[in-house]
Amino acid sequence: MNYTFPVVHSSVTIMTPLLLAAMGGLFTELAGMLNIALEGLLLMSAFASIVFTAATGSMFVGVILGIIVTMILAGIMATVTLKMKSNVFITGLAINLLAAGLTVVLAHHLFQNKGVVVFESVSNLWKLNIPLLASIPIFGDIFIGHSLFVYLSWVLLFVCWFVLNKTPFGFRLSATGKHGEKLRSIGLNPVKYQFIAFLISGFACGLGGAFLTLNMGAFVSNISSGKGWIALVVIFLGNKKPLGLLLAAFIFGLADSFSNYAQGAFNVPTDFILAIPYVFTLIAMITYSVYAKKRYEFQK
Amino acid sequence: MSNMATTIDTDKSRRKTVLMSSALGYVVIIGISLATIVILSLLLSETPGKTLHYFFLGSFQNLYYFGNMLNSAIPLMFGGLGIVIAMRSNNLNLGGEGQIYLGAFVTTITALALAPLHIIGLIVALVLGATCSGAVSALSGVLKYKWDTSELISSFLLSNALVLIVNYFVTGPFMDPNTNLLATRKVPEVFRLHKILPPSNLSSALFFAIIAVVVVYIYLFKSKGGYELRMFGINPKFALYGGIHKAKNIVLPMFLSGALYGIGGGIAIIGTYYACVKEFSAGMGWNGLAVALIAKNRPFAVIPAAIFFAYIESGAKNAMLHSDVTAELAMIVQAVVFLLVTSEVLYTLYTNKKGKLS
Repeated sequence: MNYTFPVVHSSVTIMTPLLLAAMGGLFTELAGMLNIALEGLLLMSAFASIVFTAATGSMFVGVILGIIVTMILAGIMATVTLKMKSNVFITGLAINLLAAGLTVVLAHHLFQNKGVVVFESVSNLWKLNIPLLASIPIFGDIFIGHSLFVYLSWVLLFVCWFVLNKTPFGFRLSATGKHGEKLRSIGLNPVKYQFIAFLISGFACGLGGAFLTLNMGAFVSNISSGKGWIALVVIFLGNKKPLGLLLAAFIFGLADSFSNYAQGAFNVPTDFILAIPYVFTLIAMITYSVYAKKRYEFQK
Repeated sequence: MSNMATTIDTDKSRRKTVLMSSALGYVVIIGISLATIVILSLLLSETPGKTLHYFFLGSFQNLYYFGNMLNSAIPLMFGGLGIVIAMRSNNLNLGGEGQIYLGAFVTTITALALAPLHIIGLIVALVLGATCSGAVSALSGVLKYKWDTSELISSFLLSNALVLIVNYFVTGPFMDPNTNLLATRKVPEVFRLHKILPPSNLSSALFFAIIAVVVVYIYLFKSKGGYELRMFGINPKFALYGGIHKAKNIVLPMFLSGALYGIGGGIAIIGTYYACVKEFSAGMGWNGLAVALIAKNRPFAVIPAAIFFAYIESGAKNAMLHSDVTAELAMIVQAVVFLLVTSEVLYTLYTNKKGKLS
């Protein structure tokens, strides 16, 4: 199919794992936990989903099992952090390290290969294919020609908005991060909400990670390559609001997609191109904190 | 409750209880992490006996393996000290990976350029390497001071970008054309440290690491600057009220933290590698963090903690060489240590049983 702006079209694909991971991270963030394990959760699911898909022959079952594995990992993190009272930041690092180690060790054990494992039995993802609409500028680039994961992420974004803004659960979750101890005084247990938030982040990263590998039909070691960290920055830049996440994730998708394009178009060393997303994320992070500080001072 | 317990207890027995309870915590952590190795070997290896033999005893086969194991603990000691300084001031430097690599690279190219100056050239090279890494880390401190940008995230992102940029220089403009290795040229003989346990790679860098531990201890616990830094770390608001400067205690500890990582990288070059090999330091930054966590931010405890980590790492490498597992096994063990090391519950196992201090 022909798209008017291929860069925009591919940025929608690239932003999807970011958006999903950021949605999961939003719940833990609102519950007052800095969840840096998004990276490890994405990676674990990326591996588990494609291995289970290849093993069971069904993508649906594979993705579900991948999500379950990721939620178990998130559950371990929640247990160690909340029940055994560990530092959430260090347990997050632990999950990242565990996912990085476990995926390589298992890839070596199962496929005798630590680098790239191609799954030829896994079929390509189904894509929405309407050539007539695809040629409409911008609209076609953004809305047509993506896989189910992309559209599902938009539906989930709405669900996420609804849960956080319209349900008692959402209000209580947000209250956990802001006034955890006050929640206790009305007979609610903040730890319970934090635990659920971790499981939700496991679910969302499970879906995001599955998309990473199933979209390619292969597992590459460290395929999450910093996406979980960028998702964390997306949460801050999106001002911890679902719609904000969508906008922030799209900007990052655009930056990443542009750097892919630049790799082919300009004669710049690959290492510099690969560094662009990190530098861009850093600049975005600084811009946000300058803005946040100004606003804070203004309100005072 | 706790007030009563402390007043009844004498200071001495209280200290003993704290010591016992943290000792029990360590025993549990080391036990669980070693059990992880046994379970993983049984599950993943065709020859689990051989895997475990080389994992646990491989480092003690002969002087060569033993010396190399100690040698790989040296960069971890520097990294660990860097994290200790940052954490004591309530900052966290997550950029160790990039800082150690940058320090190593800058030291190498400076040493290559200043070869005729001998010892002076070496000192300049190490100082320059440390300063560059320190400056990168201090940048995260400045951002935190000025705009409250999370230093965790900014140092991590900077470090990731740095690794890629240094990769470009190592494999591009500064690559040694005479070898097939992705590495710079080797630093001249005069700059290399003496081997102290041949045939292993262990060099006199070990003494530098021990000196660094002592210096950091004296700075933190016996100097005015170190006292301010620790007070700021314990309670920033109170410290500010007491007239302790905020900028100084965010930017300076971050600088020192990065500089220690940078020296660690530089020393690894002149002690072991001689040339800056592409991504030779991968993992050292994170391990430095783990070392500081196990050491609970006490400078002298960094030495045994670094040796413990080096032992796990070398064990995994030996098991890979002689059996059918891969060295990434070490990462899983490290992850288990990370998971448990800050658990408050583990360290109160003993005290809870005794009904004291809880």
